[in-house]
Amino acid sequence: MTTQNPRPLPLTLLMWGLALIVAFLILFPLWWIFISSITPAGELFSKPIKYWPDHPTLASYRYLIENVGLLPKIWDTAIIVGLSILIGMIVSVMAAFSFARFRTRGLAVAVGFLLASMLIPDVVTARPLYDFLRSVHLYDTYTGLIILYISGILPFTILILQNYLNDIPVSIEESAAIDGCGFYQSLIYVTVPLLRPALATVCIVNFITCLNNFFTPLFYSNGISVLSTAITQLPLRDNMYAVPWDLVSAMGWIIIVPIIVFVAIFQRQIMEGIMAGGVKG
Amino acid sequence: MYASRKYWAIAWVLVLPALIIRVFTTIYPIIETFRISLYEVKLLRGIREFVGFGNFIEMFQDSKVIASIEFTAIFVAGSMIGHIVLGIALALILNMKFAGQKVLRTIVLLPWAMPMVVIAMASKWAFNNEYGLINDFVRWFNPNFSLDWLIHTNTARYAVIAVDLWKDLPFFAILVLAGLQFISAEMYEAAKIDGAGHVRSFFSITLPLLSRNILMLSIFFTMWRITSFDVVYAMTSGGPGESTALIAYRVTTEAFTNLNTGYAAAIAVVLFLVMALLSGLSMSAAKRVDY
Repeated sequence: MTTQNPRPLPLTLLMWGLALIVAFLILFPLWWIFISSITPAGELFSKPIKYWPDHPTLASYRYLIENVGLLPKIWDTAIIVGLSILIGMIVSVMAAFSFARFRTRGLAVAVGFLLASMLIPDVVTARPLYDFLRSVHLYDTYTGLIILYISGILPFTILILQNYLNDIPVSIEESAAIDGCGFYQSLIYVTVPLLRPALATVCIVNFITCLNNFFTPLFYSNGISVLSTAITQLPLRDNMYAVPWDLVSAMGWIIIVPIIVFVAIFQRQIMEGIMAGGVKG
Repeated sequence: MYASRKYWAIAWVLVLPALIIRVFTTIYPIIETFRISLYEVKLLRGIREFVGFGNFIEMFQDSKVIASIEFTAIFVAGSMIGHIVLGIALALILNMKFAGQKVLRTIVLLPWAMPMVVIAMASKWAFNNEYGLINDFVRWFNPNFSLDWLIHTNTARYAVIAVDLWKDLPFFAILVLAGLQFISAEMYEAAKIDGAGHVRSFFSITLPLLSRNILMLSIFFTMWRITSFDVVYAMTSGGPGESTALIAYRVTTEAFTNLNTGYAAAIAVVLFLVMALLSGLSMSAAKRVDY
């Protein structure tokens, strides 16, 4: 390593300046959503805009809990996202293991099919899928939504896990077999634990993907309401500012806060997950 | 070890759940989409008759569809130019070595992790002329500034593109950053010894070595943009008029609001074919660019 000259002061200032601009552009809108959420509805429409309300209030949050059913929505979201990730991971590990360890022409076709199916956009299949779900009574059910959420995360998850498995030598499983491990035992006790870092990464990225899924709950559910769609379904007011911005902001902030905390905690794994799933240069 | 016949069945059993789910959620409905695109289905009036390519002929004379194709093209082009230029700039900023680097990278992850709907709803409010954040900010510099962004065709379009950039550009930059980190420091040192400055080494080393990475990213980001839906759904509802109705928004409106199922399917088929064609072309282009 060559010794670095101390960086000239103007360059350091420029760096900090650029970094602060980027941070400001991202953080300020989020802060503003928070401010809007604790501003009473009347004060929201004051000129000039107040960046700190005269009478901060949690009324919007209380309204969401008492009148808009926030808690059931959180519950629906938790069930759907939680089960989708759990089942999706199991299904993906099985498939990825098979793709990584068995090589037949049929399986190669299956992989090709899975990858090609990623190209089919949601909008293209939306209406027939909607009619199909209705006809088998899965519309607006947990089961139906969970199947669709799982389907959304499968290709990416299988791809990452398969790449990771390719780097784990088969000989580890073989020696387990010699020690008397059956096929399934070796899959569950040897391979899956080795996959743990990849599983953690994929799990975190899938959590964000499922939480942010908007298309699926919008079109394939009605009574079951998750947080991402709930923000567009807030009751309108019958005055000139019909959209209830205080409630929208509060709902937005409720969705955003856990995400900020989550990103702060798992920053490293998320980076790795994104980069692994990203394009190989 | 796994070569023997015995494992053939196991292999397929393991793959089966994933395959079944994907077949029912993508393959079956896309075949249906192709089939019903040949029918005139108007659920409201109980009409269902075979019209062959009638829907396709109709859509290319439909001003709403043409408007949505036009805006989709503008949206994709504008957004992608922004992504590439600003994305590379942001990646370079993220690549700087300074004390706050880690914090900055965490902050930059936030827009990626947030639902587009939330951002789009908040933007609708932020772009409000009198009570919105954006104009209030502009008024620091020009106190008489007044503009209702979402009421005029052009400004509404700029606003939609700006929101799209806010949400996804940081993600693009992170992926470019991943590419940047594969470029070895020795290259820059060698260039420095040869007398190349920062600008020269950026254009002679960084950009060429990143070109493949950026090309691939642009392909994927373009695909996502062609089928974008939620930004416009939550922010402008396609308005004013039809000026921000992205093609995906048009399809869902026809399918779920106007209940013109066959017609919606025809637009969807064209959308799908364009996507398939583009991905085929870009993959073969990507193979040729190699460093």
